[in-house]
Amino acid sequence: MSYVDAGYSIGLGVLFLYAVGLFLRRRSLERAVELSPPPGPLDGPTETGSASGP
Amino acid sequence: MSAPAETVTVVRRPRWLRVVGVLALVSTAATVWLGLWVTPPDAVQHDLVRLVYLHPPIAWVALYLAFGLSALASLLYLWRRTRSMFWDRLAAASVEVGVVFNALTLATGMIWGRPTWGVWWTWDARLTSTALLLVLFLGYLALRRVPADPEVRARRCAVAALIAFVDVPIVHFSVIWWQTLHQGATVLNANLSPTIHGSMAWTLLLGFIALTLVFVWMVGVRYQIEVLADRTGAERLEVSLAERWAEGDLDTPAAGGNGHGIGTTGSPVRPPTRVGQ
Amino acid sequence: MWRDALLVAGKDLRIELRSRVALWQVLPVAVLSLVLYAFALGPARHTLAAAAPGLFWLAVLFSTVLATQRSFAIESGEGTRDGLRVSGIDPAGVFLGKAAAVAAELAVLQVVLWAAMTLLFGVHVHTAWLAIVASFLATIGLATAGTLYGALSAGLRVRETLLPLLVLPVLAPVLLAASRAWSGALTGPVSSGESWLRILGPFAAVYLVVGIVLYGPLLETS
Repeated sequence: MSYVDAGYSIGLGVLFLYAVGLFLRRRSLERAVELSPPPGPLDGPTETGSASGP
Repeated sequence: MSAPAETVTVVRRPRWLRVVGVLALVSTAATVWLGLWVTPPDAVQHDLVRLVYLHPPIAWVALYLAFGLSALASLLYLWRRTRSMFWDRLAAASVEVGVVFNALTLATGMIWGRPTWGVWWTWDARLTSTALLLVLFLGYLALRRVPADPEVRARRCAVAALIAFVDVPIVHFSVIWWQTLHQGATVLNANLSPTIHGSMAWTLLLGFIALTLVFVWMVGVRYQIEVLADRTGAERLEVSLAERWAEGDLDTPAAGGNGHGIGTTGSPVRPPTRVGQ
Repeated sequence: MWRDALLVAGKDLRIELRSRVALWQVLPVAVLSLVLYAFALGPARHTLAAAAPGLFWLAVLFSTVLATQRSFAIESGEGTRDGLRVSGIDPAGVFLGKAAAVAAELAVLQVVLWAAMTLLFGVHVHTAWLAIVASFLATIGLATAGTLYGALSAGLRVRETLLPLLVLPVLAPVLLAASRAWSGALTGPVSSGESWLRILGPFAAVYLVVGIVLYGPLLETS
């Protein structure tokens, strides 16, 4: 394989793989948003800062 | 509290992004076709010159477009009059895509350099400063991954992006100086820039346009991902809080003590209670 | 702003004088690193002498990271940062004060390191003014950039590993320029060493200004 071929393959290949990765991440997040319950009014003790995230 | 203000529950993919994506694909394909088959080989570099349709455009996107945009977006985020999470997310998207392009700049540069100079790596001014830039922005990505209130994170990252960006010209000049004062290095710089004319020039221009479109599309999608991730992060927290509340369990003391988690309020600062600090 | 800076600098230095962390921990590590470099490069005198300026500034660079981390570790006590903010002290003044304290510590460190380097690597400073000016400028650059990044990573649990990753690439030009400048001061032609001041100066100026401007926005309700 010549250097030119290697250069084009790696350059375009990585870009392509990253693009596919973006596609998949977006799709899985879109599904997560659609499936989770709609955000309700936030009541509860977070205002005092005593609860921390998971 | 970073309360979600959006009322839209369905995420729509904007049409313009799709159009850009298609254009990017088409123009890139055209560049490849022209670059690999239609344009003539160079008198000096022979077929190696075909990398000029790829490497400089990638470098341009990485170094100027991506990091320039992230610096600008960071500045706009920090400036109160224009402050908005939009700029923070745009900056983050731009940096991530920029890091990918940066790595590719180095890779294609090395692949071009090996047959031209005989070595994979040399402390050539451009390679060195590009490598340093990569590490600079990897640091940004590392900072981004540290869990924190979105606004706190946005502020830290914006400052990080700006001070990194400010360093870029300094790095550039020091490394060039370093090489010119060191004998023998200037020889290596010359060969990567062939003189361009005719069909080669048009293909090169197309290459710049194509990769710019690729960049725009990637940043667009990555931005959407950022928005979605923030939303699911906030929603997940609310769901888990709601569950805990239902279980009557919310008296449990906070673990860790600094209140760091997605969506938690950033103030007041709690004294850290961690052990062994 | 300047009065606030002096206040904060004084506070930081007084804490250091009382706790002596920089003295007993940062300084020994720096001197130790010189010894370790000798282990790594071999005992041949000419190798060490040639590498001396670079090794000196490497040691200073790593010490900057330690000193900066220490500078912000002392703030992590109960509501100290809040106290500073609420007291109405100009954030730019806080920045200048903390940076000045770090710079002072680095200055003392460099004197000791210079003595150690002279002893261990057998090199002598021929052109003192060049070495001193380069040190002065480099120290300002290191302290200001370091303090900026220290604030940026302050309060984060991962700051021990994050701070070096963030700050070392930015400090790389200082390492480069200061080493070349000191090389000129130790052995090589003074003129080439002198030209590197043209990097050290702007770096120090840029990060001084950037710090003054951005420290306030950075600290807003963090």
